[in-house]
Amino acid sequence: MSATRPQLPQEFIAAHKRRRMIDAMAELCAEQGYEATKIADVVRRAHVARKTLYDNFSGKEELFLAAFDVTVAEAEAEVVEACDQIGDKDWEARTEAGMRALLEFVAAHPAEAKLCLVEAPAAGPESAARYEAALEGFIQQLRDAAPAGGGRPATLEEALVGGTVWIVQREVRQDAAEKVVELLPELAQFVISPYRNVGKR
Amino acid sequence: MDRLPRGRHGLSPEFVARNQRERLISALILTLAEVGYQKTTVSMIGRRAAVSKSDFYKHFDSKDDCFFAAYDYAVDRIRSTVLEACVPNHTAEWSDRVRAGITALLTLLASEPPLATIVLAEGLRAGRGIYDRYQAAVESFVPLLREGAPDPPGAAPVPSATDEAVVGGIAALLSRRVVGGEAEDLTRLIGDVLEFALAPHLGTEGARRITSAG
Repeated sequence: MSATRPQLPQEFIAAHKRRRMIDAMAELCAEQGYEATKIADVVRRAHVARKTLYDNFSGKEELFLAAFDVTVAEAEAEVVEACDQIGDKDWEARTEAGMRALLEFVAAHPAEAKLCLVEAPAAGPESAARYEAALEGFIQQLRDAAPAGGGRPATLEEALVGGTVWIVQREVRQDAAEKVVELLPELAQFVISPYRNVGKR
Repeated sequence: MDRLPRGRHGLSPEFVARNQRERLISALILTLAEVGYQKTTVSMIGRRAAVSKSDFYKHFDSKDDCFFAAYDYAVDRIRSTVLEACVPNHTAEWSDRVRAGITALLTLLASEPPLATIVLAEGLRAGRGIYDRYQAAVESFVPLLREGAPDPPGAAPVPSATDEAVVGGIAALLSRRVVGGEAEDLTRLIGDVLEFALAPHLGTEGARRITSAG
């Protein structure tokens, strides 16, 4: 964070409008799906001029992708912050804290979660690629953080992240995002237990 | 798939109709694997199946309609192959049944990549509607995995969400490989997938012992 003078009101308003359009996109996708969502719906919901939308985004897909990127970045930031509070010593506690932060984010942002987990994989090739990349990021994070050795299968992290996302995705699809936090004990156990008993043979 | 002989063949109209329908389904699956969902057209499917466009529309309302039928057909093939492999061994050890099921699954997908592509990769890009079918298909394997599964050594019974996550995780892993064009190599993952499926119930060490004894 730089400590320069406050942003100009105009920049503030522009950022605020951009945010409103992104939020509107997420809400509308959650209600009616990406395919059915029209630019006209977004403009109406966000209370912005059509021109404002096209000044910011080339069209519906770019707005959708922006909403995806913003949401993933925010979720990642919360996960990182929760992990950092635990420190590097205890990877189990760290992993559980990260998972809790992620599940709490999903519960607090059901529309955005639906956009990322339900709409994005099927909303076109670019969107599918970003979804895969975000998943890859979580897989890599788990690989980097998990205790080394133990002769575990090379595909373990892919299956663990895939399985966790599968469960969360299902709840979000069924408009039950607020319930995902209740699944933390089982999901944390699911992810952590394959790494226990390392070296005991 | 062989074409029917032209002219008088003495086949009933019902047989011809069913045969055409099956040819269209299999043509869609093959075309999808080659050019992807967006580029697949009704004409391409018809040409490949040697079925006229007007006959196509006797069987299906649209490309999507044919696609859904093909998706259901592919899921059915996969499911019945897995069931066949593990149910006759009803009296066998749980881990043997799981091994038989996983081996049958990965062997089928590796030997018929277009089947893997429609169910696990390109098919999922075809819009949100297909996800209901995908989800139902994946979830249908959960009871199969849980049936007769032992409780883990010295621990509480495995929660249902864990087996659901195991099955979903396997689907996600396979999907990533198929999307990456590695469907033919899926049999190499039999050991990994087996250990992953057994571990919650047998413990990591127990699962590894059985996997490496394979």
